[in-house]
Amino acid sequence: MVVRKQKICGDIHGQFHDLMELFRVGGDVPDTNYLFMGDFVDRGFYSLESFLLLLCLKVRYPDRMTLIRGNHESRQITTVYGFYDECLRKYGSANVWRYCCDIFDYLALGAIVLGASNTLSPGNDPTTLPAEEDTEIEVCNADGHVMSRFRRQGGRINLIRETQTISPKGAPSSSPPVNGTSSSPSGSAPPAVGAPTNTGPPGSGASGSSGGSVGNPAGAVLCVHGGLSPLIDMVDKIRLLDRKQEVPHEGAMCDLLWSDPDEIDGWGLSPRGAGFLFGADIVKVFNHKNDLSLIARAHQLVMEGFKEMFDASIVTVWSAPNYCYRCGNVAALLELSEDDSGLGIFARSNGDVNRSDGGMGQGAPPRGVLMESDLARKGGGPARRYRVFQAAPQDSRGMPAKKPVADYFL
Amino acid sequence: MSAPSIPNLLSLRGASRGGGDRGGRGRSRGRGFGGPGRGAASGSASASALGHDAAIQGTDTDAAVSRLSAVELGYLQDPFASLFVQQAAMPPTRRLPIINRGTYTRTTAIDKVVERFLSQTDAPGQERQIISLGAGTDTRSLRLFSSSSSFQRIIYHEIDFPAICDRKFRTVRGSPQLRSVLSDPVVITPPPVAGAAAVENNNNNNNISINSWHSIQSSTPSGTGTCHLYCHGLDLRTLAQDQDNNQADPNSAATTSSSITIPNLRTHDDNIPTLLISECCLCYLSPHEASASIQWFASRIPHLGIVLYEPIKPDDPFGKMMVSNLAARGISMPTLEAYKQPADQEARLRQAGFNQTRQMTVDTIWDRWVSDEEKERVDGLEGLDEVEEWKLLAGHYIVTWGWRGGGFDLLDT
Repeated sequence: MVVRKQKICGDIHGQFHDLMELFRVGGDVPDTNYLFMGDFVDRGFYSLESFLLLLCLKVRYPDRMTLIRGNHESRQITTVYGFYDECLRKYGSANVWRYCCDIFDYLALGAIVLGASNTLSPGNDPTTLPAEEDTEIEVCNADGHVMSRFRRQGGRINLIRETQTISPKGAPSSSPPVNGTSSSPSGSAPPAVGAPTNTGPPGSGASGSSGGSVGNPAGAVLCVHGGLSPLIDMVDKIRLLDRKQEVPHEGAMCDLLWSDPDEIDGWGLSPRGAGFLFGADIVKVFNHKNDLSLIARAHQLVMEGFKEMFDASIVTVWSAPNYCYRCGNVAALLELSEDDSGLGIFARSNGDVNRSDGGMGQGAPPRGVLMESDLARKGGGPARRYRVFQAAPQDSRGMPAKKPVADYFL
Repeated sequence: MSAPSIPNLLSLRGASRGGGDRGGRGRSRGRGFGGPGRGAASGSASASALGHDAAIQGTDTDAAVSRLSAVELGYLQDPFASLFVQQAAMPPTRRLPIINRGTYTRTTAIDKVVERFLSQTDAPGQERQIISLGAGTDTRSLRLFSSSSSFQRIIYHEIDFPAICDRKFRTVRGSPQLRSVLSDPVVITPPPVAGAAAVENNNNNNNISINSWHSIQSSTPSGTGTCHLYCHGLDLRTLAQDQDNNQADPNSAATTSSSITIPNLRTHDDNIPTLLISECCLCYLSPHEASASIQWFASRIPHLGIVLYEPIKPDDPFGKMMVSNLAARGISMPTLEAYKQPADQEARLRQAGFNQTRQMTVDTIWDRWVSDEEKERVDGLEGLDEVEEWKLLAGHYIVTWGWRGGGFDLLDT
């Protein structure tokens, strides 16, 4: 469990220079809390440097760095996707790889961020006015300039006002759209007409509607690399997993690291061969049962760096710009503000004591119940600021950057 | 980037070493131009043009490395692949799963079109021609000629840089293993030598001499069903130029005098169905040269099919990065700017006179043409977890095919 202001990051994949760029954009480490959602290694050329840096920061600032495990933090996957070869090439033996893999086994499978505020803390854009209280989403570029802002849509009212429908997708697509362009429906396939259309920022596919954000409006954010598992209906069950092992081929631990949200109902088979696809209904029920306002996850390349789905009940964050030196995508990190009203910080330690009534001690209304007043007042999930950034210049950061060569089909 | 190769600078240009070294194997090799005939081009273009030619020839090695990787890991069956590799000390470069799957998909897609063509034209006594442009060290002809293939009466022409053509000649001659498939290759047009009596060759006015060699399928019993392999060292730009000359002077077109003649290529023959293959070859020419090259064949061969494999979509973020990354390797694909979308590719074939045209991107081919069982087998080899990246990458390559004239239909999508 992590409390406080967090910058949540997705896949890094050994792109060390871009990780440096991420820290430049997000802020230096002791001053900023970071939560990395796995996939530190493989694909890029500097997996070792990237992982060791993050590990060093974790050791030095244990309460300011959170690292959770991705599906690439695995012995089997790293032998195929580059980290093993990189270690062998750099050290002449597999020992370093072996030690790193041993550490992978200790990484957490997920994290809960509590106390995220419904209002954005001031950004660092000197040229823009501070976000207003009802700003739900703010998108900034790498220099901190605000590119767009989106207000809360007024809770339930929005459901009535927004009458444009999204034509439901006929067949469940076996793979989510790669481009989270604003034109692609990002909300769940609406169960009925009258569902809200997307009002979120271009590229986020986000919906400003709070209609789907049942659960705790100022509530917890679950961070996990892949997604949900049919074997995990309560967050507490994650704590019961014996995680100190290689990532298995199936089961709850595997699913958490491998699954993807998709425009389907219920659960589906994953084209990745591990984990599952899960639909909006799954996310909403899970969030409701667990008093979550949002699931943040990584695992899937998103050309715009982030993509909200299912009425902003889940977001994909991708932090490897120009992935594999080839994809041409931008990256993003998600910034959650600390709730300084005190409302959002309650002693919910997720399994230890008083888990399900965490908010009650503070006199907050029972969590997990959709309160009309909450919706009317705030609605939606925590305020989210996305900082979008691009790949670091080739020669930046004082590291001799070999010109990477991306493979194509020639 | 390939897994082990981290910065695989080795496959740049011809530089050989490490991964780059495999002299060549497979596939798409060459892009045919450059060679000798061409020094003439124009004095000016020389330096950079030569650099580009070298970079393009290097793509043959690149493709070869990818092919070997896919074969070694079990994606593709190709007993001949290793014969064209100058075994370096290093173990074969292993590409990432996404590249291996792409190599597999595009190879089997073209195989499928070729097999369709052959089965459609498989009548008793019916000969058929396949012309592979920029064939390089491609092994498709060998696979078709091997005993495991039941196709007969194929006249297979490969056209590539003379240097690459020569190298293949030496490889074929020097590989005892190949004797079970091909006879000892015979040079049919000695390089600069005078008009050896050989065949009804070129040697015409243009002073263009084509270095060609010929080999016969050795596995067939005898006589009738035998397949022939011809390799021609010819810069395709020369062919394009020849086509332009003919168009400028219609009187000489179609007549032999001022035209290039490719040894043993059957033209103006209503009885011989022909399939033209460009597997990432014509894209290295200018749009005009590419069209003229196609036209050279189209104007001479009545019953013609064609299959092209090329990248597309240079304008989206992935495409821009692709263009930029390839440029950094000295590779440019001029036709990419002319035929950006799938529809452009089809239109291009229609314009060339193919009244039936089809196209599919490589990711769609994987979805539609690879059976579920085969998908399971292939995915089981390494596992591919980068689904989004696969769709992105494979969506930027397309196979386009078309045909005209009677005699055969190629596939529908």
